Amino acid sequence: MRKFLLMTLFILLTAQIAAARTIVFAVDATWPPMEFIDANKHIVGYSIDYMKAAGKEAGFTPVFKNTAWDGIFAGLAGGEYDAICSSVSITEKRKKAMDFSIPYFKVRQALVVPISSNVKSLEDLKGKKVGAQIGTTGYFAIKKVKGIIPKSYDEIGLAMQDLINGRLAGVVCDDPVAANYALREKNFASKLKIAAIIEAGDEYYGIAVKKGNKEILDLINKGIKAVKEKGIEAKLKKKWFGQ
Amino acid sequence: MKDNKQKVQIEVSDGAAIPTKKDFGLFTAWHITLIAALSILLYLVIRYPDPYLDILEFVSDGIVVTFEITFVSIFFSLILGLLTGLGRLSKNKCINLIASIYVEVIRGIPLLVQLFYIYYALGSFFKVPPFVAAVTAMSICYGAYMGEVFRAGIESIDKGQTEAARSLGFNTKQTMFYVIIPQAMRTILPPVGNEFIALLKDTSLVSILAVGDLLRRGREFATESFAYFETYTMVALIYLLITLLLSKLVSITEEKMRPYDN
Repeated sequence: MRKFLLMTLFILLTAQIAAARTIVFAVDATWPPMEFIDANKHIVGYSIDYMKAAGKEAGFTPVFKNTAWDGIFAGLAGGEYDAICSSVSITEKRKKAMDFSIPYFKVRQALVVPISSNVKSLEDLKGKKVGAQIGTTGYFAIKKVKGIIPKSYDEIGLAMQDLINGRLAGVVCDDPVAANYALREKNFASKLKIAAIIEAGDEYYGIAVKKGNKEILDLINKGIKAVKEKGIEAKLKKKWFGQ
Repeated sequence: MKDNKQKVQIEVSDGAAIPTKKDFGLFTAWHITLIAALSILLYLVIRYPDPYLDILEFVSDGIVVTFEITFVSIFFSLILGLLTGLGRLSKNKCINLIASIYVEVIRGIPLLVQLFYIYYALGSFFKVPPFVAAVTAMSICYGAYMGEVFRAGIESIDKGQTEAARSLGFNTKQTMFYVIIPQAMRTILPPVGNEFIALLKDTSLVSILAVGDLLRRGREFATESFAYFETYTMVALIYLLITLLLSKLVSITEEKMRPYDN
């Protein structure tokens, strides 16, 4: 009898797992508050909650795999994971190398400077060093401005540290991340401020999947749509940005 | 009779193998690798200028930076190494202890951690530019390793040399600099050459400090173009070519310093 019960339990469990498709997402968890590692060493953040909610709606189980940013697209092409959920801005160049879900977040580039600085725009920083994370739209924005010395960092936190240490005149990154460092992070907020929002048009985050992987893309799109329509997105924004 | 002593070779532990004429297998391996690496590089650049020539152009200033860091670090680590080596042999207990502790501490901490420490942790007190931080960290780290090489080299010289020099009226300093060290140089040079090449390869670690060296330039190119395979192929080939040429340079110098050995 007991054996029989165990068997049914086992079958039920495996059936459950089979029903919910697992999707492995690569995350560079160094981008607070979008995706980062909390005090308990768990990957958390707005994007993470968003994908979990999308999974619940569309019937897939998200698994998050922490991955260094500068190899994250190579890993996708190599099939190490199904998708990237790591604040990836949708750009024309990236679209050629991978497919994107519908946008799930609107973002702009923000310039962070020391609190005492009177810089008003990126153009004011000509001849100075400005940092950003390697391979991000923030870094591309710096490189576009002639005369600025661009410095690329492996993680945005290292760039912020160098800004505080006085080796950089500014750092450019996505506005939620900029706000996190300049307004909320306790070691940084008293020393940094957001000087400007860079006018380079709006950007949108999307989930990146390997080119042609329609099955996964459809599932993720279905989930994102549901999260938007059911008002879950608004709740998540409130939770992570307090707006 | 005493000459036997001087053929002591310090075990080669790191860095590329240095080709010598005696070692036939390695000699040809060096040639084959060099020719292969060079022809692959040229073929790729000429046959597929997009993206290979673009990559080469993009990383070219990184190659210069890699060389700059290597040569400046080698210079300071040699000075530091000599001082440490002499310190480790000093009869003055205090100096000996300081040199020994320095070696123990540095050898016990990975270079990558030292780089992080000097740049980001100490960075809040000493605002040095990335290049200076990189060179400082590399010199301090390799100074400790060089110190051990110098110590072993000096110790390998027979005691009779010191005794002879002393009885000729040289003081300790003169004995060390005119008699012992010139002889020790022949034993020291091969491992120093190896450390030199190892240091060049380890400069790739400084890319963590936002120093635009060869590897960081490659990474910047790769993350923007998504040409990972092409970029890292080029970066690897360039590093390989540089170390091959350097190891040849070291072996030539070494042969020049041992004119009677072959």
